[in-house]
Amino acid sequence: MNAEIYGNLLTAMAVLLLSAIIVPIAAGKRKLAGWLNFIFVSAAAAIILNISLASIFAGSVGILDLGPLGLAGLAEKSPAALALGGFRIYILVDPFAAFFMAIISFMAVMSAFYSIQYMEHYPDYGLRAYYLNFPVFVAGMIGLVTFDDLSIGFTIAWQLMTVSSYFLVRFEFREKGNVRSANKYLALMELAWAMIVGATLFINGAAPGDSIHTIVQKLSQTGAAYHYVIFGLIFIGFGFKAGIFPLGQLWLPDAHSIAPSPISALLSGVMLKTGIYGIMRTFFWMVPHGEGAHFDSFLWGVVIASFGVVTLFIGTVQSMKQSDAKRLLAYSSIGQIGYIVFATGAALLMTGVESQFVRMLGLVAIIGAVYHVLNHAVFKGLLFLTSGSVLYAAGTKDLNRLGGLIKFMPVTAVVAGIASLSISGVPPFSGFASKWTIISTSILAGSEIAFLALFGIIALFTSAVTLSCYVKFFGMTFTSAGTEWTVKRDIKEVPGTMLLPKIILTAACLVQGLVPFFYISMIAGIFRNSAGSLLTAAFGSFDAATAMSAPLLGAGIRGADGTGITTAVPAVVLGIFLAALLFAWLLKRSGGSQERVAPTWLCGYQELRDSNRYKDRNMFSSLKNFLWWTGGNVKK
Amino acid sequence: MKTAYIFVNIALFLLLAPLFEGIIRKLTARVQSRQGPPVYQPYLDILKLLGKETINSADNWGFKIAPVMAFASIISVIAFLPLGSRANALSGYADVITVIYLLTLGGVSILLGALSSRNTFAMIGASREMVTMIMVEPVLAMTFILGAVKVKSLGIDATVFSVGNSGYNWSVFLMLAVYLLALQAFVGRQPFDIAEAEIEILEGPLVEYSGPGYGLFKYTKMLKQMFYAALFVAVFLPGFNTGFYAADLAIQVGFIALVFVFIALIGATNPRLRIDQAIRYYSVMILLALCAVGLSAYGI
Repeated sequence: MNAEIYGNLLTAMAVLLLSAIIVPIAAGKRKLAGWLNFIFVSAAAAIILNISLASIFAGSVGILDLGPLGLAGLAEKSPAALALGGFRIYILVDPFAAFFMAIISFMAVMSAFYSIQYMEHYPDYGLRAYYLNFPVFVAGMIGLVTFDDLSIGFTIAWQLMTVSSYFLVRFEFREKGNVRSANKYLALMELAWAMIVGATLFINGAAPGDSIHTIVQKLSQTGAAYHYVIFGLIFIGFGFKAGIFPLGQLWLPDAHSIAPSPISALLSGVMLKTGIYGIMRTFFWMVPHGEGAHFDSFLWGVVIASFGVVTLFIGTVQSMKQSDAKRLLAYSSIGQIGYIVFATGAALLMTGVESQFVRMLGLVAIIGAVYHVLNHAVFKGLLFLTSGSVLYAAGTKDLNRLGGLIKFMPVTAVVAGIASLSISGVPPFSGFASKWTIISTSILAGSEIAFLALFGIIALFTSAVTLSCYVKFFGMTFTSAGTEWTVKRDIKEVPGTMLLPKIILTAACLVQGLVPFFYISMIAGIFRNSAGSLLTAAFGSFDAATAMSAPLLGAGIRGADGTGITTAVPAVVLGIFLAALLFAWLLKRSGGSQERVAPTWLCGYQELRDSNRYKDRNMFSSLKNFLWWTGGNVKK
Repeated sequence: MKTAYIFVNIALFLLLAPLFEGIIRKLTARVQSRQGPPVYQPYLDILKLLGKETINSADNWGFKIAPVMAFASIISVIAFLPLGSRANALSGYADVITVIYLLTLGGVSILLGALSSRNTFAMIGASREMVTMIMVEPVLAMTFILGAVKVKSLGIDATVFSVGNSGYNWSVFLMLAVYLLALQAFVGRQPFDIAEAEIEILEGPLVEYSGPGYGLFKYTKMLKQMFYAALFVAVFLPGFNTGFYAADLAIQVGFIALVFVFIALIGATNPRLRIDQAIRYYSVMILLALCAVGLSAYGI
């Protein structure tokens, strides 16, 4: 079984690298190259999804020791490694890694399929480099979540991911400023890499190629003072990748907004999650635990949760200020990452305290964090593909110039509406389920640790701000008015090959929102079966079915005495809403009123024109002024 | 029986909301030395609007669906409210976080309608409406959270009845004061009718609406008003349990009427604020509410 996992994983990597060699040769024929890239990526993704679903649902764990001179030492439950000039690379596929592998490969397929048609609208740019770097980028991300060290394997995966994504980000290198932004991205990612690898030098007796398991043992022999340096550097390093305030603001909005949209979807939806993966792996697995371990999980929990709360607030408020659709989405990614980081930190500090009640909430919080990783990958990917479609059809992503696309692009409009409601956390769409888990746990824990209630309230307040970002994004793109005057060409709905991935992702948004308990029990299983973490033991005795189930696959939290403390059943909310909708519709029709279309009424002496329409830069101007100190302001 | 409570809730709101609107209009007129319309005028307005012609400025589906969505979402919220000091059959399926998020759907529907109508005035109104929503939602949320940290539960019945079950203390009084100070903003009345501001931006988000769509929006607004008044009564005036459902309901409706008198008197005597002034006011309310939650966490 284990040998199969690794054989298959290496096969999938080989397929991706093969694709990087073969497809660029065919890059002259643009559509053909797109299809080839899609076929190769899907083949690799199918293999990886197969491994990861087996690992997630059957709980199979494997660690591969690619020892010197080939595939030696395939031992169960001890890392397997790959030889490289005498050094070993350990590969670990446990359910936790498998979860991230599944997200990466699923989003990679969506993005590859979308690219086929989307890349047609760059007639001035060759696609050789694009199709060379796309599979390498995916392979690098898969490597980052499976290579089980912080030195050699980590470096290879990080560099594959960073360098290939650098070339993808600077795809439109002739546009002013793009190369500069991409260079900044590359430099900062190398800095982050140096911090993480540098951190391991402080570990007593660390050698290149140590597996995480070995690092943990060596950490417990390292002076406690060094722990602050080591964990601090690793947190900042992965924080750079994930986009934590203020580090994310340095590179993320520039890089994500200039990349081609399918790549933005991967950057925001997936690549940021590798930073989250690093933070979770470090603070739940790579810490000395057990008897006599000196690791202050409360302190680190407070640090991480505080960074998370600041990130989610600042990132989202800055997002509200943007007028460039893709910059808005990029800043909003920072905000959503903030939710995940906040829940991670909150879980770390909650699971370390005395109170049984708070410890149980801590387990629920980390489930929420991982759930939000999945939800954010789906709806943010979808939103970037949507803004890509708008760019493809209307040729601009400036919200001041867009408006009124709902008539020309009905399918994209519906999809964008559902994605916007999902990210804003409106029930029963997907963002609600995970945000509910994150916010309700911190508010409930606030009864014993008061500042967590404050954090929870800030998170709740921020989701109203998130809503305003997406009211703006949706309203200024699809409704309102603008393109009649600013866009000369005929705007049409994008072709079916660009709609299909969006429809699939929309369906995922709905399913992930409607049946939260399925995902919650899956994530609880992931933590139970991923050995070696701070939480493994706690999850061993945590039965999701008794602690968190609710009717109709909804989610709830029950106290120790079995009484429900809180419940959310999105399916029931949807049912009530649909019944109310039917009633409202009947009421509207009851009077038999007629309808006719008339021009917009502006007090009778003016008609709507480009000069008197309401532009995006005016939206929420009073709130923008009130919150000017959060930064990210757009110059008038 | 618990299922019947849901329908009683909805029927009571649908029947009484226009009456309370009528009371506000009558009282406002009296304060301003006018005769005012009869108290049943809002019923006639809604009936008339349901039959009138719709003039559609946008010709897209967003404009048509918005009033229906707004009305449906406020009805859904009302279905979850435990009126008459009794939890209904739905209380076990949602918690206060769900209700808070569901309330935003109503706001979003109004914004969708405003943005779809393509009218510049509507969009100015939408921008202001959204800002108001962002700033007052935390106060509403903290009303619930105050109870939640005390009883360690986010269930609708547990949080709403928390004052009734554990009594008043300083944090409850502070929150009660904040709720009353924010009430005009919750219901969009003077001095916080900034988003609609009839004489300034011609009813803002609703400027292009006519006929049944306008009627539904008007009705939604009346229901929303009554929801916030009923929530105040359910949370802060929980005593007076007679044990008989009908009597409890009647007492609560009486209190709701009193809250409406309060709304009308404040509304009739205060001029509208500018949006930037209002934001500063809301931020003070948010800080006070935070203090109340903090006090409550320490059991004060």
